[in-house]
Amino acid sequence: MKKQGRGMASIMFGFGYGEGFPDHSIAEVEITKDKRIKVRTAGADLGQGFLTTMTQIAAEVLKIDPSYIEIVGQDTHKAKNSGSTSATRQTFFSGNAVREAAEEVMGKIYHYGSLYFNSNHPELTVKDGELYACDECEKITYWELAEIVEQRGKELKAEATFFPKTYAPDRKTGQGEKIYVAYTFMTQVMDIEVDTDTGLIEVMNVYTALDVGRAINPQNVHGQIEGGTVQGLGMAMMEDQVIEEGITINADMTNYLVPSIQDIPNFESTLIENNDSGGPFGSKGVGEPTIIGASPALSNAVYDAIGVRIKSLPITPEKILNALEEKK
Amino acid sequence: MKISLTVNGEKRALDVKPETRLLDLIRDDLGLTGTKEGCGKGECGACTVIMNNKVVASCLVLAAQADGAEIKTIEGLGGKDKLHPLQQAFIEKGAVQCGFCIPGMIMSSKKLLDENINPSEEDIKRGLSGNICRCTGYVKIVDAVKEAAHKIKSGGEENV
Amino acid sequence: MSKKYVGKDVLKVDAQDKVTGEAQYPSDLKFEDYLHVKIKRATYPHAILRDLDVSKAKQVEGVVDILTEKDYPDLNKFGLIIKDQPVLIKVGEKMRFMGDALAIIIAETEEAALKARDKIEVEVEKLEVMSNPQRALEKDAPTIHNDIGDLCTNYIDPDVGKQNILMDHHLEKGDVDKGFEEADFIVENEYQTQHIDQLPIQNEAGYALYDESNDVIKIWAASQWLHDTQADVAQAMNLPKEKVRIIQTAIGGAFGKKEDVSVHLHLALAARHTKRPVKLVYTREESMISQSKRHPLTIKAKTGVTNDGYLTAWEVKVIGDAGAYASSSPAVVHKGMYHCTGPYNVQNVRGDSYAVYTNNTYGGAMRGFGTTQMAFAYESQIDIIAHKLDMDPAQFRYQNAYDIGSTTPNGQKLGKSVNLKRTIESATDLAQWEGEISE
Ligand code: FES
Ligand code: FES
Repeated sequence: MKKQGRGMASIMFGFGYGEGFPDHSIAEVEITKDKRIKVRTAGADLGQGFLTTMTQIAAEVLKIDPSYIEIVGQDTHKAKNSGSTSATRQTFFSGNAVREAAEEVMGKIYHYGSLYFNSNHPELTVKDGELYACDECEKITYWELAEIVEQRGKELKAEATFFPKTYAPDRKTGQGEKIYVAYTFMTQVMDIEVDTDTGLIEVMNVYTALDVGRAINPQNVHGQIEGGTVQGLGMAMMEDQVIEEGITINADMTNYLVPSIQDIPNFESTLIENNDSGGPFGSKGVGEPTIIGASPALSNAVYDAIGVRIKSLPITPEKILNALEEKK
Repeated sequence: MKISLTVNGEKRALDVKPETRLLDLIRDDLGLTGTKEGCGKGECGACTVIMNNKVVASCLVLAAQADGAEIKTIEGLGGKDKLHPLQQAFIEKGAVQCGFCIPGMIMSSKKLLDENINPSEEDIKRGLSGNICRCTGYVKIVDAVKEAAHKIKSGGEENV
Repeated sequence: MSKKYVGKDVLKVDAQDKVTGEAQYPSDLKFEDYLHVKIKRATYPHAILRDLDVSKAKQVEGVVDILTEKDYPDLNKFGLIIKDQPVLIKVGEKMRFMGDALAIIIAETEEAALKARDKIEVEVEKLEVMSNPQRALEKDAPTIHNDIGDLCTNYIDPDVGKQNILMDHHLEKGDVDKGFEEADFIVENEYQTQHIDQLPIQNEAGYALYDESNDVIKIWAASQWLHDTQADVAQAMNLPKEKVRIIQTAIGGAFGKKEDVSVHLHLALAARHTKRPVKLVYTREESMISQSKRHPLTIKAKTGVTNDGYLTAWEVKVIGDAGAYASSSPAVVHKGMYHCTGPYNVQNVRGDSYAVYTNNTYGGAMRGFGTTQMAFAYESQIDIIAHKLDMDPAQFRYQNAYDIGSTTPNGQKLGKSVNLKRTIESATDLAQWEGEISE
């Protein structure tokens, strides 16, 4: 018999290393004569879109089409430390470092631009990679300005470090003033169907509301929700590296199963954007939070469907059938 | 042993060892590294190519078995100057994260659309069920295949 | 505050390379005349290495050399937080899990390397294998690491052995005993999570090359933190950091698994030794056995509740299976505990967490870093309590939900960007949840 159930989970995630660890990111932005804006960061793009996010932030601050931005420095000998791509920290940390470096460069654009135009900053307009003192007046491009600045022996280049403080918690009580830089919150509701004859679970719908501060790239945030949730469903329903007496007995992808395209639910998601966090443009990190709700939401839906509570993961058909048997 | 085959429209003659897999031939001998290896056991689909109009896991095919065959890999689909509608759709729909599964995913999708230009969601899921993606949760991949079908139907591109 | 590029679906800047197959992942790089590297790994999960004979293996045609600890006796141990993992196991010392490296085989072809690997002779003295942290916590359990020192600060249970505790952490907020007294009922459960592999589809892989002109070892391999991998490799090899250069490639997924050193150190040694380009690609099996896992956590959760549906106290005890080496364990297990109440107001919280060495594949970073496991516990507790109260689970969550001014189990006061209630409202709206939600 097929039984339907609905479960909910709300979660939080404190991101960044926190706990007083010296967590920071260094970035550099440079406008070159050859019509490129180089953003130098050692941050790793694991697929989530780090390079794109940094590109958008630099483009926004420097008021220029993203196609001019080039991310460089994916090399220990070509860029300074950006910290890890982990702890859901890159948008917040490297994003802020890139934003600050880009703002520094913007300051230089105004500074040298005002010398060139013989005017003061408020009279200058900067738009689409050009600056000018009035609508009809002469315009110069960033690249021309870079050339002029170079002739003065200077550069349109700046480095910035984003280094917010956290505090180590007390060793005995875990208490502290600021343990993590910020928290991300999410609520998910999940609809499932349990086949009481086979113990198989089908996940029908996942409804998600994610508190992101601001989405720098909404499509990529949805990509995190979907990817994270499906990975979380793997944990909830199937994934289990079985290590017996120190020996893994399922070290391949036939016996260690992860979700396939046949296992995915429908998604409906909302991003809560209050622009109220400390990341660039009010954003906060979302990478890890998106995996966290799936296993409890599924477990709670199983209870709703068939009245059994499974307290160990993964919730396999075998566990479902055993629990149903016990309940009888 | 000597074999000859056509890869992405080009005739190639090669000397291969009996144990060489089609995947090694493609990646090492021909240098077409767009085809990936994720498991080497037919479990993940990263190595998917089209061989004689069939989707195969190239890690499970011996090079010798491909003697005389016609092979299509991701490199044969479209380059930067002329992206295939599937490639275009995968970019536009945000279906690419780490990208490691994507060449295989696109080759399976190509085969699917070659046979059925109006696939239902179920058809798409069946057609891509052998390709594992760990990043995307597949949602945008399904969207991308739908979008590519739409693009192809509206005839934006030939050479499909 | 409308923005031009922020908040827009700007297409991924690296997607075009990835859909055309042009993106270069570590195994896609091309080097002339490179050598193949394979690793001989432990033959038993917990044993003393008594003899390691590579002489027959070295005779296999095409083998260039086989490196063991004897060739590099001065290497330091490596690790993300605590340096406890040997680069190569020394004869007379212990292997602690099946991923431990015994020898680095370097050969002209992959076949030769594999053939040689099979010919390496290993003799071990088997020790008790501890696969379960509960056993590792018993007083008579053998010690897995004798040389780490006592990192356990505050173990309070006298019946338990400390010798395999890697790290302990504690929480004490408010007055938990009083909190439980104030409760109308208490819900107590134990939850168990499993070993999970992050399973990025690209396995660990890379190339290295030694540049004699400036004495720099260049490594092309994925890392979630280039400069950390660089520092770890450099310290293990007693080199200045500048002598180790790590160049990022396209990364075929990570999810925490590519924080630890994997191919990097063995490649660096092989490259410097042979002065030729070297390549090492893990198999899926090797990746699953040798690199980090999501920790199985055993979580005992005890929650005090009033009849009108408020939380008075929360207590957890967390035991994390750290496996054979520390990796991120000193940070993961207690991060889970620090999130023990979920996003709900609880004035009185107590917690103890222990990361415990075993002979399993080591636990490390994976998406959520301990909090994913903990959420299974706290959100199960919350659901169980809501049903006991016969209260709408959404309402129960809502009335206990964090807001500006709430304090976390660490006593951190939340000053801004706490929109949990809005997520509950929105998610239930989307789902057309039955039942009203109110303060
Ligand atoms: S590499 Fe062929 S299916 Fe995985
Ligand atoms: S995009 Fe990473 S595996 Fe599919």
